[in-house]
Amino acid sequence: MKVFSVGVILFGCFLAMFETSATSLENNSTSKTIETIPLAPGFGSLGYKMAAAGSYKLPPLGDAADGKILDEQGREDTLHNIYKGKYTLLSFIYSNCKDVNGCPLASFVFYKLKTLMKKDPELADKLRLASLSFDPEHDSPEVMRLYGANFKFAGDKGEWRFLTTPSLAALDPILQSYNQDIQREMSVNGEETGDISHILRVFLVDPKLKVRNIYSLGFLHPEVILADIKTLILEDDAYKISSNDEPDQDHLAPILSVPGDDKDGYETGSYTTRSKSITARRGAKADLLALAKNPPLGLPAVPEPETNPLTAEKIELGRRLFFDRRLSFNDTFSCAICHIPEQGFANNELAMAIGIEGRSHRRNSPTLYNVAYNTSLFHDGREETLEQQIWGPLLAHNEMSNPSVGYVINKIKKMPDYKGLFEKAFDGGGVNMRNLGRALADYQRTLVSADSSFDRWYFGKQEDALSKKAQRGFQIFSGKGRCSTCHTISDKHALFTDQKMHNTGIGYNEAMGIKPAKERVVLAPGVFVDVDTAIIDSVGEKKAADTGLYEITQNPDDRWKYKTPSLRNVNLTAPYMHNGSLQTLNDVVSFYNKGGVANDLLDPLITPLNLSDQEQSDLVTFLQALTGSNVDTLVSDAFDAPIGDLTNSDPNWAHGRSEY
Amino acid sequence: MNNKKSNKLLSLVKRKVGIAVAVSTLLCSVTGLVSTTHADETCMSPYMAKIVGQEDFVYIWTLGVEGLGDGQDKLVTVDVNPNSPKYGKVIETLSVGGRNEAHHSGLTDDRKYLWAGGLDTNKIFVFDVHTDPAKPTLNKVITDFVSASGGVVGPHTTYALPGRMMVTGLSNNADHGGRTAMVEYTNEGKFVATHWMPTDENLNGAKKSGKYADGYGYDLRALPRRNVMVTSSFTGWSNYMMDLGKMVKDPEAMKRFGNTVVIWDLHTRKPKKILDVPGAPLEVRCAWQPNHNWCLTTTALTSKIWLIYEDDKGEWQAKDVADIGDASKIPLPVDISLTSDDSGLWVNTFMDGKTRYFDLSDINAPKQTYEKQIDKQVNMASSSWDGKRVYYTSSLLANWDKKGDDNSQYFKSYVWNGKELDEKFSIDFNALKLGRAHQMRFGAYSLYSKKKPEMSEVKKVASIVE
Repeated sequence: MKVFSVGVILFGCFLAMFETSATSLENNSTSKTIETIPLAPGFGSLGYKMAAAGSYKLPPLGDAADGKILDEQGREDTLHNIYKGKYTLLSFIYSNCKDVNGCPLASFVFYKLKTLMKKDPELADKLRLASLSFDPEHDSPEVMRLYGANFKFAGDKGEWRFLTTPSLAALDPILQSYNQDIQREMSVNGEETGDISHILRVFLVDPKLKVRNIYSLGFLHPEVILADIKTLILEDDAYKISSNDEPDQDHLAPILSVPGDDKDGYETGSYTTRSKSITARRGAKADLLALAKNPPLGLPAVPEPETNPLTAEKIELGRRLFFDRRLSFNDTFSCAICHIPEQGFANNELAMAIGIEGRSHRRNSPTLYNVAYNTSLFHDGREETLEQQIWGPLLAHNEMSNPSVGYVINKIKKMPDYKGLFEKAFDGGGVNMRNLGRALADYQRTLVSADSSFDRWYFGKQEDALSKKAQRGFQIFSGKGRCSTCHTISDKHALFTDQKMHNTGIGYNEAMGIKPAKERVVLAPGVFVDVDTAIIDSVGEKKAADTGLYEITQNPDDRWKYKTPSLRNVNLTAPYMHNGSLQTLNDVVSFYNKGGVANDLLDPLITPLNLSDQEQSDLVTFLQALTGSNVDTLVSDAFDAPIGDLTNSDPNWAHGRSEY
Repeated sequence: MNNKKSNKLLSLVKRKVGIAVAVSTLLCSVTGLVSTTHADETCMSPYMAKIVGQEDFVYIWTLGVEGLGDGQDKLVTVDVNPNSPKYGKVIETLSVGGRNEAHHSGLTDDRKYLWAGGLDTNKIFVFDVHTDPAKPTLNKVITDFVSASGGVVGPHTTYALPGRMMVTGLSNNADHGGRTAMVEYTNEGKFVATHWMPTDENLNGAKKSGKYADGYGYDLRALPRRNVMVTSSFTGWSNYMMDLGKMVKDPEAMKRFGNTVVIWDLHTRKPKKILDVPGAPLEVRCAWQPNHNWCLTTTALTSKIWLIYEDDKGEWQAKDVADIGDASKIPLPVDISLTSDDSGLWVNTFMDGKTRYFDLSDINAPKQTYEKQIDKQVNMASSSWDGKRVYYTSSLLANWDKKGDDNSQYFKSYVWNGKELDEKFSIDFNALKLGRAHQMRFGAYSLYSKKKPEMSEVKKVASIVE
C-alpha cells in the first residue's frame, strides 16, 4: 500500500504542475514551458475555433461493452449500470502512471470538465465521468478512492467515478472490447517496473450504450468534449441538424437528364463546375407499362414479341436486374454502368466503353432510348432480339465477363433479394436463361422517348413548337443535307434510322489512317499539351482491330459498315459514331459536310454537302430539338431503381468463401 | 552488444511507443530518444503509434496479373532488417483471391491491423500484422463497402483516426465517374458514416473559393493541431481502370480529372473550403513541424508542386510553387514523401522512372537538387523517419503500367546519405511471379507484436540504435 500511496501523492504533484503549465500556455503561447515540456493539446488552449455545438453529427461507433467492475467502496457493479441515465466519459488509467501525456492528461481534462460543472447545471446533470483502472492488482477500490480525492477542488457538482475491476481476469474482456492494448514494462533485471504502456483513448458513451466518440491525444480537450456533449444533448432535444445528405436550398434546376458531372466547356479556361450531388440523385417510379403501351407522339406502337408480351412484373424485375452490379463476374458492373440513365442511357464520359477490370472495348456505348424499335442490335447488327442480346455483354470477357450461362443463373438464384421475383413475373417460372433475357428485354423496351419539339411541330402540327432556326435546320436535314435518307421520317412517326449498315469512313480511318505524330491532350480546364504519340503508345495496349459488319458477314464489301443510329435524344448521347470519335453535334455535322472519309467502300450516299456555317448551325439546332419530353420521367424512374451491390446478406460466393 | 543492453532498449521501445512517441508526432516536439530512434514512413497518420528503431518488414500490397503465378492480389512481406539472415528476401506471400486493383493500405492507429483496399472490387482486406509481424494473416474482408456507404466506389486511402479508419473513395456506383465520398469505419470494421465531397449542388457549407467544386476524391491527411483535414481529387473508376494510352487519347475521359483540394473541419467532418488545384492533385503530405501550417500535394497532369497553406489571417489557400520535370512530356508525378523535418520532398515521376528530391528550404520555391532513375517506371516511395532508408515500388495501376519490356515490377531498397541514393537490394516481382508491386507499409516486432524475436535476433534492434 505504501508504494501505491506514493503513486497517488505523485499524481497530486502532477496535477499541480499541469495546472501551472496549462495556465502559462493559455496566457502566453510562446512561453518557455511549451518549448521544454511537450504537453498534449489538452493541457492548453485549443488552438483553433471549435465548431458550434449542434452543427455536426456524431454517428454511433458501435456498442459500448459491458464488464464487471468495483466501485470506490468495493461494491460489485457493471459498466452498463454505470452508464445509465447520462452520457459517460470513460478513460482507462492507472494510479501509478507517470507519463505526463498519459493517464494524467485524461484525468486533467476530466478535472477541467468537472470544474465546468460548477457553473453549468446541464453539464453536471447530463455528463458523468468515469476513470477505470487497468491495473487492478495495484489499484484497489481504496487506492482509486484516494486517487479521486486529488480532484476534490473541482467542486461537488456532477459525478466522477473512480473504478477498478476485481481481477485481471475480469479486466481482460473489457480491455479487449474497448481495444485497449497494454504492455507491462520490464526492468533490465526482468522485473515489472509498475509502468504500463498503452495508447490513450477516452470513450464517450451515450445512455443507449453506444460509443459516440473516441478521443486520443490530439483530440482530448475540454472544449472539444464540451461541444460534443452539447451536440448530443441538442440531438436528444430533436434539434434539427443540417444533414450532409440533404442538398442546399438553392440547388440547381431539377433537370435530371443531364450528366451529374457536366464538363461542357472544359476546354476553356473559363470552365466552372456544375456538379450534382450523388445523394440528390433520387427519383420516382413511373408507370413504364403504360408508357410502352402508349408511346409518345412521333413513335409507332412498341413491337412486342408474342413469346414475351410486356407485363408490369417483368418490367420491374428487368429494371432491378438492369441496375444490379452483381450480374458481372466480380460484382462491379451492371448494364447501367455503360448505359447511364442521365447520360442518355449511353455514356458521355468515354469514347469507347470499358468492361470489368478496365478491359478495353472497341466501341461506344449506344443509347437504349427507343431500342425496342431496333431490328438489329450492336453497332455491327449481329444480334436480332433484346431477349438474346443480353447474353452478349453478360458473357463477353471485356464486358461483364461471366464464365457461363449457368454461373449467372445460379448466382441470381442465390441472391436473397430476388427470392420469388422470377416466379411472380413468370407465373411460377424460375430463374433461367430464357426468363432472364425476357425480363431485361421488357424493361429496355419501355425506354421509349419522343414527343419532342420536332414531334409536336411536325406530327402535332403545333406551329410554335419548333423554333424558326430548328425549322430551317429541318429543311437542311430533309433537303440539302440529305440526312433523312438514312435517318428516316415517315408520315406518322419517325425512328430516324433506316436500320441499315453504312460505311462513313470513320471505321476505315481508324483502321487504315495514318496516326498523327502528336496528340493534343487536355490536362486541366483550358490547359493543353501536344504529346508525342510514341509516349502515349508506351502506356497503351494495342487497340483491337474493328472492321464492322464484315466481322459478321465475312463479306469484304461490308468492311467498316456500321448501323445507322436513331437520332432521337441525340443531344443527350455524346460522344458520337461507333467509336465515339466525334465529341459534339457540331463535329458530326462538320464531318458529314466534308463528305466523310474517302475510301473505296465509302457509302455513295456520303458526299460533300457544301453547307454554309449558318446551315450547319441550323442543322445542329434541329438535332437538339429531338429530345423527348419524357426523358426526365424515364431518368427519374431509373433513379428510383435499387442499385444492386454486395451486402452481407449475399451468400458465400460474394465473400470469397468456397462452396465446393 | 549484450543481451542486457538489448533488453533495456526493447523496454525503452515499448515504454515510449504508445505515449511519448505519439505525443512527439502530434506536437512535433523533439526530445532525446524519441527523435533519434523514430523510424517509419513519414506519411503516416499523426494519430498512429510509431515504430522505434529499424523496421523489420515492409508489407507490399501487390496486384495479381492475369497469367502470372496465381494471378491473385497478395500481401508480400519482405525482410528489410540488415541484421536479419533473411534480409532482402520475400519471406511471406498471402494471396487474397481475385484481382481487386490492389492499391493503397494503411494501419489502424494501434498498428494491429493493415487495411488494404481494392479499387475495382471495392473490397477492403484487413490483415492482422501484430500477432506475428513476419507472417500477416487475413483477419477479415469488408465486402459491402459500396452498399454500406450508399454508393461509394474505389476505397483508396485508409487513414487512421482515433479508434477509426477514414477511407477515401474515388468513384461511385451510379456512373463510375469521379464524384465520391469519404467513408468512416470503426477499427473493428463497422460502418460509421459517409462524408460526401462537396459539389455545386450540395456544398454542405463549404466555400467554393474558385471555379471548381467537382466532388472528386483521392487522398487524405490531417493536421490535428489546426483541426484540419485535407483531401485531394483524382478521377473515377472509368479512368483509373482504363488502359492509360486509350484514356490519354480519349478527350472526354481526359476531362474527368479532379481540380480541387478540400479543407475540412477534422472534428465535425464538414467541408470548409474548396480550393482550385487544377490537374489532378494526388498525394497529400502535411508538415510535421509545429510552426508549419501547410501541406503539399502534386498534380499528376500539370506536373506541379502545390502548397496548401494557412495564411496570416487563418484562411487556407493554395498556390503552385514548383514545376516537376517537363509538363509537355507528362512525367506524371505520383507518390511523394516528405522528410520528418519538412526540409525535403521526394517526388516520383512514373513515366521516366525517376525519383526527384526537392529542397524545401523555401517552401514557397522548392528546388530540385537531385534525381535518379529508379527503373523504367516508378510509383511509390516510402522513407524511414530518419530519412536514411527509402524504398521504391513500381506499379501505378494495373492498366496504367507500361507495357512489354518497360513493365518492370520491383521492390527496391536504398540508403540516402543526403547526397545520393545507394541501392541495397532489389526484388524482381515479375521474375518471382508475384505481380505488380504497389503500396508499402512498415512492420516491426517492437510495437504491439504478440510475437517477439528470439534473443539472438534482438541484437539487430540494438545495433541500429548504436
